Amino acid sequence: MTLPIRRRAVTVLGIGAAAAIALSGCTASGTGAGSGEAMLTIPREDMGTFSQNFNPFSPTAAPMTQQAIYESMLVYNPANGETVPWLAESWETSADGLTQTFDLRDDVSWSDGEAFTADDVVFTFGLQRELLGGFDYLADVQAVDDDTVQFTLASAFSPALFELGQQILVPEHVWAQQDDPANFENPEPVGTGPYTEVSNFQAQSFDLLPNPDYWQDDAQHIAGIRMLAFAGNDGANLAAINGDVDWAPQYIPNIQTAFIDRDPEQRHYWFPPTGAMINWQLNTTLPMFSDARVRQALSMALDREQIVDVGMSGYTTAADCTGLSGAYDAWRDDAIVDACDWTTLDLDAAGALLDEAGYVAGADGQRTTPDGQPFAFDISVGSTSSDWLSVANIIAQNLGELGIEASVDSPDWASVVAGYETGEFETGIVWSAAAPTPYQFYRNVMSTESVKPVGEQTFDNYHRFGTPEADALLADFAAASDGAGQSAAIDGLQQLFADEAPVVPLFSGPEWGAYTTERFTGWPTEDDPYATLSTRAPTTVLVLTTLQPVEG
Amino acid sequence: MSIQSPESLAHAAAVRDAAEPPSTRSIATRPPERRPRARGRQLLRLLRALSRNGKAVAGLVILLVFVALALAAPLLFPGDPSRIGSGGATPPSAEHLLGTTAKGQDVLALTIWGARSSLLVGFVAGVLSTIVGIVVGLTSAFFGKRVDDALSLVTNVFLLIPGLPLLVLLAAFLPAGLGTVIAVLVITGWAGSARVLRAQGMSIRGKDYVGAAITSGERPLRIMLREMLPNMASIVMTTLLACVIGAIGAQAGLEFLGLGDANTLSWGTNLFWASSDGALMIGQWWIFVPSGLAIALVAFALALCNYAVDEVTNPRLRRPRTARSATAPTTVARKEDAR
Amino acid sequence: MRFILRRIGFYLLAFWVSITLNFLLPRLMPGDPVTRMLSRSQQRLEPQQIEALQQMLGVNGGPWWQEYPDYLRRVLTGDFGVSISRFPTPVTEVIAQQLPWTLLLGGVSLVIAVVLGNLLGILAAWRRGGLLDSVAPPLLVFIGSFPYFWLAMGALYLFGVMLGWAPLRHAFSVGLTPSWDPTFIGDVAAHLVLPALSIVLVSIGGWMLGMRNTMIATNAEDYILMAEAKGLSPSRIMLRYGARNALLPSVTSIGMSIGFIVGGALLTEVVFAYPGVGYQLLAAVQGLDYPLMQGLFLTITAAVLLANLLVDLVYVRLDPRVRVA
Repeated sequence: MTLPIRRRAVTVLGIGAAAAIALSGCTASGTGAGSGEAMLTIPREDMGTFSQNFNPFSPTAAPMTQQAIYESMLVYNPANGETVPWLAESWETSADGLTQTFDLRDDVSWSDGEAFTADDVVFTFGLQRELLGGFDYLADVQAVDDDTVQFTLASAFSPALFELGQQILVPEHVWAQQDDPANFENPEPVGTGPYTEVSNFQAQSFDLLPNPDYWQDDAQHIAGIRMLAFAGNDGANLAAINGDVDWAPQYIPNIQTAFIDRDPEQRHYWFPPTGAMINWQLNTTLPMFSDARVRQALSMALDREQIVDVGMSGYTTAADCTGLSGAYDAWRDDAIVDACDWTTLDLDAAGALLDEAGYVAGADGQRTTPDGQPFAFDISVGSTSSDWLSVANIIAQNLGELGIEASVDSPDWASVVAGYETGEFETGIVWSAAAPTPYQFYRNVMSTESVKPVGEQTFDNYHRFGTPEADALLADFAAASDGAGQSAAIDGLQQLFADEAPVVPLFSGPEWGAYTTERFTGWPTEDDPYATLSTRAPTTVLVLTTLQPVEG
Repeated sequence: MSIQSPESLAHAAAVRDAAEPPSTRSIATRPPERRPRARGRQLLRLLRALSRNGKAVAGLVILLVFVALALAAPLLFPGDPSRIGSGGATPPSAEHLLGTTAKGQDVLALTIWGARSSLLVGFVAGVLSTIVGIVVGLTSAFFGKRVDDALSLVTNVFLLIPGLPLLVLLAAFLPAGLGTVIAVLVITGWAGSARVLRAQGMSIRGKDYVGAAITSGERPLRIMLREMLPNMASIVMTTLLACVIGAIGAQAGLEFLGLGDANTLSWGTNLFWASSDGALMIGQWWIFVPSGLAIALVAFALALCNYAVDEVTNPRLRRPRTARSATAPTTVARKEDAR
Repeated sequence: MRFILRRIGFYLLAFWVSITLNFLLPRLMPGDPVTRMLSRSQQRLEPQQIEALQQMLGVNGGPWWQEYPDYLRRVLTGDFGVSISRFPTPVTEVIAQQLPWTLLLGGVSLVIAVVLGNLLGILAAWRRGGLLDSVAPPLLVFIGSFPYFWLAMGALYLFGVMLGWAPLRHAFSVGLTPSWDPTFIGDVAAHLVLPALSIVLVSIGGWMLGMRNTMIATNAEDYILMAEAKGLSPSRIMLRYGARNALLPSVTSIGMSIGFIVGGALLTEVVFAYPGVGYQLLAAVQGLDYPLMQGLFLTITAAVLLANLLVDLVYVRLDPRVRVA
């Protein structure tokens, strides 16, 4: 036995332990800065770590890339339905609907001092279409002069205004030099936004400091933005509850007790139902779901109040027969809502409707399909969405009372969505299109052009329902040059939705948002909905340029 | 503890393999029984001895209570325990002894129903891992030479590959469900028991009565099952217990991470839901504590049984060397160092 | 020397098995991982990117004997491809950022658990039947029976949220830049307390009991009796004669336990949003980032194998009998 060596080994261990104990004996240091120079601290709950990638065309870009660094020509605010001019002062649609002209501000410069011009807009659209595609209706984009850009459309398409206007714009002088713009990490971004200067970039957090050349005077009141990384809601919620962040844009269960009650004076939340409609989709290629009566009956069996209360902690509003989410309140036709009853819980009526459609209950109370099979199906939902999983469980429970056997199937989202895309599913919980107008929503749930046969991959209209009537109305909307024409088309679509129930709408997706006025004031509220509290929406920049630090 | 698997048993054997230091002879591998004719009787004697051991009785009682509750769940709480009600989370009361969750489910019902799948998965995965371990270990010990070299190599490799990361990787690639969880637990859990059982098998293989059986022309399978296995009862039992502990913990860990099937009702999913409903954040301890405590109690009970088996079969742990501590409470063997 | 060479050969083989497992898993999985991944991330990749991904995952449809050597070559040159969830950062870069934190957390917890556990074990065995020997083992075993993540969450809630004694997340305070100055080191240490505590709590019982039982065995040896007969002081016998010899199996246990510490770190890191490889592994699983998952798994395995090799080397120094064998 070699004792000296052993002694050495033991001593090393001993020193290590002593050091470790000394280290762990340190006291906790406080987090969060004082007021005045405080950073606006925001958690990001679905990015465990950050990469210094500020490429706005990349799906994994660091948060705030599209909100604080790059800007668009206009900002549409779903909370009040208003459109805010941003890098464009004004715009004009030609009478035939084939040209869109934007007048750009002439006082905007990039954060490196270069002037922002119409050429940058033209370049961005070229790059966007090259990298990510889209804008298929665009025939041409031209810089008329430095401050005017003109889009020529192949055919009239009224939703184009918002799509074009909300495109994020990048500087030509930076991006034209990139050989591989799709993979360009853009670590030192040059943008027109209010906070463009990246500072202290760590995997767990980074700061964005003010753009020295910002075009708006008196809009950069805060010292900077600080983003924190979390791999799940738990950590982000804890940060919010503990007062470590100023703005919590994620789902917080029991927000009243968990968050507000700890400081009711300063802490607030506002969850406007302006997100996309959350639907329960039924695969209409299956015989049992091809009958509108069955779809409506299933919808009538749902206790939407319970779904909203328990599944979504009561944070949103239940859907009505138009399928329109709270973002489209201005378009909603109340007459249709009042005249329709298939989004109201009524088991008797639902049963009667099913009997009429041939889905009668047997002696054991279980319903069968007209060809004698048990009326049973799966409800697919991704396992990681715990709130939607609860919703699916409630639906299964509700249907059980009607004698229908629904079971919840929850693999990971990837396989759920793969099933949706190829049409190999029975029913499932699904989001819908969120866009400034209801056009996209209705196109994706009812148009025949979006229907693909089972087996072929599609990225919308998973439930594969289409009717020529919808096509006609959608075409009317696209061609309409004024608000009245658009409204008429949307009214028609609402009626069609109420008649056909192509999907079973459940509730409007809420736009999560909570904040504390401890360090910053000027937040959007229900009374002053100048933006939503989302940190990933085009409206985020409106909040960033409004917030004021608390004096003192 | 989610990773306290039978691997831990094996490092004792690893020491022996590496060095065979007499002064530190590991306790996990103890000398085999000497009586060749005792065969099935070893198990009986072991059980009789265990019935007089306080730890074994305590552990067994806890286990039986849980098993009984699990079996009686449909009688105690008829209906679907995960049925979503209204009313939100309420603290413990006379009506709901352990309170309710944010979805209005009775926590006591969830915990007792959860025992069914947790215990089932734990025991099935534990038994399967042990069976694989027995097959590999005995084959290795009986045939020796090339077979042993190859099997030992595979065993050691599986022992070294970190369990939980492999578990996470497998769970990510395979479809969620109870079957997957069990399969994954067996894949990551068998090697530890194989290692220990091989070491024990080796020493029995060297006994005269095994040699005699071989000479008399008995089939290898018969020798392994009739001559060798019965004399390994105690080591098989400790291995099994360790495997079950490991499996229950690992299942809970997987489910907590959201990699299990969120529709099964088990202790792990109860904790997953508690966490995703933010129960602990708002101080709703009654949702969070019961399932965690249940896991700990079952693992503790199994560990008690495990130590009891050790004490019964290892006299040195029972009798202190000097008289000064004759009243010493006898405790535990090195079963779980280095989790 | 032969022993060491044999061990190195064995570890290389083990590493090859994990590489191969990594190669096989995506192929055994139902469905095409690339399609699953793309459908999930809703991103449009260039055809050559998809091809590169398929190659990395070994699912580009070619026969395995063509893909396999190619795959081996890329892994051995450290080319794990590009992370999907942190596109376009290379997997190796992501891992390089995270690995030091896991090494720190795992290392500190291991050292504390080993040292403290062994000390307690020595004391318990020496005063057999004493207060420590009767109270600590059952208590520690009971605490060790709780799931890692449960203890971690409990500690987080109790010490972090309720009492505010320790930071709640991350490896260091937001706003600090990593450096070697005392403020930063102190801050890192403070952030280490709770995660390390939960790992130590779960694992310390095993060390204590292991040491206690080996000590009991060692105390029965003749040389202890001899030392007592010589009239040496009890503490000297305990430490110099008993503990020193009983420590040997503990060294082997360290090697075995590294894998478990890594697993424990995984769950603990998730609870504390501690930016280590375990936390990243879960994030990769949630983001279906297969290249990153595979890279992390191989890195973790390689680290565990390397640590075991180190333990073997130490063991050879400590126990000369191995060298002869």
